[in-house]
Amino acid sequence: MPYRLIKFAFSKQHPEAAFFRQPAQIRDSYDAVIIGGGGHGLAAAYYLARDHGITNVAVLERGYLGGGNTGRNTTIIRSNYLTPEGVAFYDASVKIWENLSQELDLNLFYSNRGHFTLAHTESAMRTMRWRAEVNKQMGVKSEVLGPDDIQQACPQIDLSCAGHAPILGALYHAPGSVARHDGVAWGYGRAASQMGVEIFQNTEVTGLDIRGGRIHGVQTNRGNIKTGKVLSAVAGFTPRITQMAGIRTPIVIHPLQACVTEPMKPWLNTILVSGSLHVYVSQSSRGELVMGAALDPYELHSTRSTLDFVEGLSSHILDMFPFLSGIKVVRQWAGMADMTPDFAPIMGRTPVAGFYLDAGWGTWGFKATPISGKTMAETMARDQEPELIDAFRLSRFREFELTGEKGAAAVGH
Amino acid sequence: MSYRLPQQSGEWIDRNLTFSFSFEGKTYQACNGDTVSSALWASGVRVLGRSFKYHRPRGVLSLANHDINVMLENGIDINLRADVLPVTAGMKLDAVNTAGGVVKDYLSVLGWLAPFLPAGFYYKAFHRPRLLFPFWENIIRRMAGLGVMNPKAPRLVSPKTNLHCDVLVVGGGPAGMNAALVAAKQGARVILVDENARLGGTLGYDSSSGLGPGQQLEQLCEEIEAHADIEVHLSSYAAGYYADHLLPLIGPEGMAKVRTRQLIVASGAYEQPAVFRNNDLPGIMLGSAAQRLIQRYAVKPFERGVVLAGNEQAWRVALDLLAAGVELAAVIDLRMDPPPAGLIPPAVLVYSGYCIYEAVGSSGLEGVWACPWDGQGNADQSRAIYIPCDGIAMSVGWAPASALLYQAGAKMKYDEDCQQFVPDSLPPGVHAAGRVNGIYGLADSLADGERAALGALGLSSVINLLPASQASHPWPLVEHPKAKNFVDFDEDLQLKDFATAAQEGFNNIELMKRFTTVGMGPSQGKHSNMNAIRVLARLRDEPIQRVGSTTARPFFHPVPMGHLAGRSFHPVRHTPLHGWHQQHEASFTYVGAWQRPAWYGPDKATAIVNEVRAVRHAAGLIDVGTLGKFELRGLEAGEFLERFYTGHFLQQKIGTTRYALLLDESGVITDDGVVARLAEDFYYVTASTSNAAAVYREMTRCLQLWGLEVTIVNLTGSYAAFNIAGPLSRQLMEGLTTADLKQISNGGAIETQVAGQQARVMNVRFVSDLAYEVHAPAQSILSIWQALVEAGQSCGLKPFGIDAQRLLRLEMGHFIVGHDTDGLTHPFEAGLDWALAKDKTFYIGQRSLKIKANKPLTKKLVGFTLPHPPANLPDECTLVLEQGRIAGRVTSIAFSPTLGQVIGLAYVAPEAGIAGKRFVIRHQDGSDVAAIVSKLPFSGAAA
Amino acid sequence: MKLLKCPVNGLRPIDEFAYGGELREMPDPQSCSDGEWADYVFNRTGAPGVKPEWWYHIPSGTWFVAERNTVTDMVERTYFRGEA
Ligand SMILES: Cc1cc2nc3c(=O)[nH]c(=O)nc-3n(C[C@H](O)[C@H](O)[C@H](O)COP(=O)(O)OP(=O)(O)OC[C@H]3O[C@@H](n4cnc5c(N)ncnc54)[C@H](O)[C@@H]3O)c2cc1C
Repeated sequence: MPYRLIKFAFSKQHPEAAFFRQPAQIRDSYDAVIIGGGGHGLAAAYYLARDHGITNVAVLERGYLGGGNTGRNTTIIRSNYLTPEGVAFYDASVKIWENLSQELDLNLFYSNRGHFTLAHTESAMRTMRWRAEVNKQMGVKSEVLGPDDIQQACPQIDLSCAGHAPILGALYHAPGSVARHDGVAWGYGRAASQMGVEIFQNTEVTGLDIRGGRIHGVQTNRGNIKTGKVLSAVAGFTPRITQMAGIRTPIVIHPLQACVTEPMKPWLNTILVSGSLHVYVSQSSRGELVMGAALDPYELHSTRSTLDFVEGLSSHILDMFPFLSGIKVVRQWAGMADMTPDFAPIMGRTPVAGFYLDAGWGTWGFKATPISGKTMAETMARDQEPELIDAFRLSRFREFELTGEKGAAAVGH
Repeated sequence: MSYRLPQQSGEWIDRNLTFSFSFEGKTYQACNGDTVSSALWASGVRVLGRSFKYHRPRGVLSLANHDINVMLENGIDINLRADVLPVTAGMKLDAVNTAGGVVKDYLSVLGWLAPFLPAGFYYKAFHRPRLLFPFWENIIRRMAGLGVMNPKAPRLVSPKTNLHCDVLVVGGGPAGMNAALVAAKQGARVILVDENARLGGTLGYDSSSGLGPGQQLEQLCEEIEAHADIEVHLSSYAAGYYADHLLPLIGPEGMAKVRTRQLIVASGAYEQPAVFRNNDLPGIMLGSAAQRLIQRYAVKPFERGVVLAGNEQAWRVALDLLAAGVELAAVIDLRMDPPPAGLIPPAVLVYSGYCIYEAVGSSGLEGVWACPWDGQGNADQSRAIYIPCDGIAMSVGWAPASALLYQAGAKMKYDEDCQQFVPDSLPPGVHAAGRVNGIYGLADSLADGERAALGALGLSSVINLLPASQASHPWPLVEHPKAKNFVDFDEDLQLKDFATAAQEGFNNIELMKRFTTVGMGPSQGKHSNMNAIRVLARLRDEPIQRVGSTTARPFFHPVPMGHLAGRSFHPVRHTPLHGWHQQHEASFTYVGAWQRPAWYGPDKATAIVNEVRAVRHAAGLIDVGTLGKFELRGLEAGEFLERFYTGHFLQQKIGTTRYALLLDESGVITDDGVVARLAEDFYYVTASTSNAAAVYREMTRCLQLWGLEVTIVNLTGSYAAFNIAGPLSRQLMEGLTTADLKQISNGGAIETQVAGQQARVMNVRFVSDLAYEVHAPAQSILSIWQALVEAGQSCGLKPFGIDAQRLLRLEMGHFIVGHDTDGLTHPFEAGLDWALAKDKTFYIGQRSLKIKANKPLTKKLVGFTLPHPPANLPDECTLVLEQGRIAGRVTSIAFSPTLGQVIGLAYVAPEAGIAGKRFVIRHQDGSDVAAIVSKLPFSGAAA
Repeated sequence: MKLLKCPVNGLRPIDEFAYGGELREMPDPQSCSDGEWADYVFNRTGAPGVKPEWWYHIPSGTWFVAERNTVTDMVERTYFRGEA
């Protein structure tokens, strides 16, 4: 029995402090303001304080911490991307993830399961090869496996997929992991708060004070705040904030849905993704199957669920695992994914001086939480992006230099 | 001993049809109509399941599909809910998630560890040292989870149906039944759905001893049955609300998707447990559960019991228990109010202003400690009274079954008088009636049903009824220093866990839910959310209205994936030549939904070589009927093509073909094909198989955008096509047509007769310099194909599949869109500068190319050969390295039987892309393979 | 499944339709700057609101414009481009 838990049984007073300081008043000025109390915003606050000594920071969250896509995502963490820039970036994130529970002293259930991207067509096999080769070249563990290896890792799978779409092979990525999403927001929030960052929930940014091409502050439903540096880390709300800033971007919001089943005893130890069947599944530590599918096909700023989603998803899951037909789906939900045309994020400075963007995280941004926090903190502190995120600059569209991550991100998260 | 009562009027069981079943290895008897729980309870079994976290014994709680601690497995299915699962003969059932059986579950020791495991404990431990986490995780994963998956369980395939109606009424209680009747009488087509096996709702079990609604129920049922326009779905639940009034009804056989014009939600309310120490012991149940046991299943809930009262319902429960022969030890009334007149049970001790401080027992209830209390959770233990008993019926309040209303977008408000959330505003076409609306009592419920029905039909004249007063007690929770006073039975959450969570900063409803996991178990908070909200409101010292509730997402009850999936549907497309291919040993491959021959014959490798040889030395035939095929007619058809594709088409001569390259707005290659001009105002255009639908779609969009005088006809399905290629192809064709094919040998196209059938013949040199593509209506293609096969028999003509085609075109140096290009490739990279008209004012992507032309190229598609090919060739998509950096990749590679060497296409650094230069390919096995850039087409290929 | 009104075929379930994106005006490629062109090609009006969009009824091959509220998903009207 871990010591920390023993304390609970024998202390008179509850032995744990509050996670976050909850200051009653927002001050009228901060050195930096971060819009969005999701994983990204809170991580940026943490690294601003830890790495750059900037602690006079306010994080403003319109709802509750982690209530955006952070708390809705299916938590797949991997770095087997397609472009060298993408692989290097996500790999840097995975490296932070591996010790994050210890660093934040919060068990994030970072669970290394191994990640299989199944290929049902020759052309999918080619893409797997491409990714494997780029990954290997970048020092990331990925390999193309055949059906037998898949069967061994997941004996229950029907490799023929009910005869409709036989599995020809897979891209296997050993570092593939899952983690507990809420904990990530809480852990970063707590650590940032301990270093002096102030976090305000139920506080919505309603306008930006921009004069002379530079940011001077933000307006909120709880009053105005003066600041010279603002980070927007609002994922599905990005177009609303960029509109306030008068900045045009390619970001379009599409719902992304997911669902879970009732809990069952563990049997699925890997993360499985099928691009052709447009589904992915892993089993949570609680025993639920966490499942998702492709992005909703049209723009919508809503977290409504659809029946077609669970119907299609169930049909495809049963093609792989016919014995699950009696297993029940308990709950479905959706998040608002901020999609870019090249499936790569948009990070860094903007045409408005002092206003930084961390967006375009679409269906894949959870895994990037640590590294995006770290690199955005650096960008804010130095007013200059680190090399690692150069490929993700907003100006790449104007320059016709897109990043081409579509092949790896389309369904796999 | 048997707890079965004598016949109850309106009971659901059939005593003449009995059978045996087994539970945890023991055999029990059941009547037809029994659920597993009712049959076991009737047999005196009290421990029906174990709780999730502490493995505490649990019995009947709701008997209404919320007894999530009583889940079963039958060898095939898991997590079956005993409280609603009908018993069938010979069933073999076990409780899920026990260690050593439900009676002696040794994991119940976990209960002792509870003080070490506060809410969110797993966030606080097990991560240090890092290397031990997998060990802890393994234990935690094994402890979690309910049933054990059976990987041999068969796939259920249940059909789906689609239904349409004017009014869908969810909930067959008095409000719902009356709403259905009133709507139907006004001429509406009505569907009425209820999750129970019979209509009636509260009327069916809350008949409160002699008040006579039994008759009313019969009458309503008869009227509904007699009405032709009411379709009743029983044992079915509306699992969710989706846009435009679509609701799936989940029944035992499958899913019916109902699209309705108007929705009436009369889904009632869930009775809520009181929270006190050991409130989960078997024998402690909701008042309505006791009533269901008695009225539906004729089972005596317990021998000697108490009623815990917090509302009027409690008194009716007391009367029902007395009528069932239960010895009523006491009514413990949380309030000071006297019982309502007419409901006073004879000769029963009533403790007004008392609470239950603690229940006592180990695997079942043995007694309770009752204390006077302040109505706010604090008991005065100095005046505790012990009452021995084996049962408690709790009637302290309700929570509305408002999930569907929330999902439909209703706003709810907390009515302090009723102590319940009730709808504040409803979206168009959605109505609420009965308890979900805060309306209690038979007469009021019927009236509310009528009001909702008239509202749905736009005939409403009836005013809204006021919610009932005090239907729920505002604070049915009692503190206890030793805790085990459960708020959430799914997750074994105790009252103090909420204070812990709030203290740690998780003091808004959503954060609290996530930190404590309240409401996240299989019951989705049906019996726990309301109390959790009360607790939080108190912790925050705010009204419940401000605290609000969490979002209710689908599903209302969990839905089996088999029902959601239905029959899965996998459409496949075949060309008219498919039968012929099958007869000739074709191996097929999918290209999108199309099935195409990959090669012919038993052995792939030899087949491909032979097919290639045939094309190079005699002739080959390939089915290309899957190509996109479009006719464009009109005076501005040429103008349209000029704008759509990169080339010139206005000056194109009649009777000729041209290459057609399609870009997107950003200048990326999206497709290519052939344009044949067949008349002044008539073009015939092909597109690649996988892009056919998208190209046609984009053509029609552009047509609307540009407003040109063109009609586009999509012949992809109605026309078929094949390609005949190789040195003998002209000769073979000429034997079947009178047309002069020499005329079209350099990019020509004609309409003529081939083998007696009208056809379009084009010179398309994708796989060979001498090749013709023959397009004809689907019904005539087979006879042309067969005529050619016959004519070619003696000279070595062979059909070939797409594997040989890939190789042949590679020898020709042609790229394939999507295979040799990716989602960002532009024409300069692919070496297609020649295909871009320089002097046009507009084509799609042109302006973007102008920008790209000013930027340095980063890579270039070139042909290459391998001077020293390894035995195992590099795969397609292996990388091209330039001083250890990734410069590009191999997109195509194969051994060419024609050239006797390995050839391929690859992206290389532009400066490396000069014929004769060497570059390095990183083989998938890690070795480096030297390659030499080659001119295209590979010399000697074009036979 | 949501319903959408095709101007030719009336209310049909949304899986019969394909989404064609925001209806955008192309700047004159001859006279516009590179920046204006890139803005047209890549940038979108991502903020929520009622927007005209391209929709395509797949079975009948009909393109039309729908004015849709991208928050509520309510379609205010549908018509052929140019017939606004
Ligand atoms: C169903 C689903 C599955 C996914 N699966 C994966 C996966 O497996 N792996 C993966 O890597 N990624 C996945 N993602 C993507 C991932 O969830 C997101 O990219 C990531 O969580 C974004 O984090 P964030 O902190 O930037 O945004 P969020 O967590 O959305 O945080 C943004 C916050 O900003 C707040 N906000 C918005 N506007 C304002 C305002 N005006 N003022 C104040 N606050 C504001 C919001 O309330 C929100 O809390 C998935 C997403 C979804 C929806």
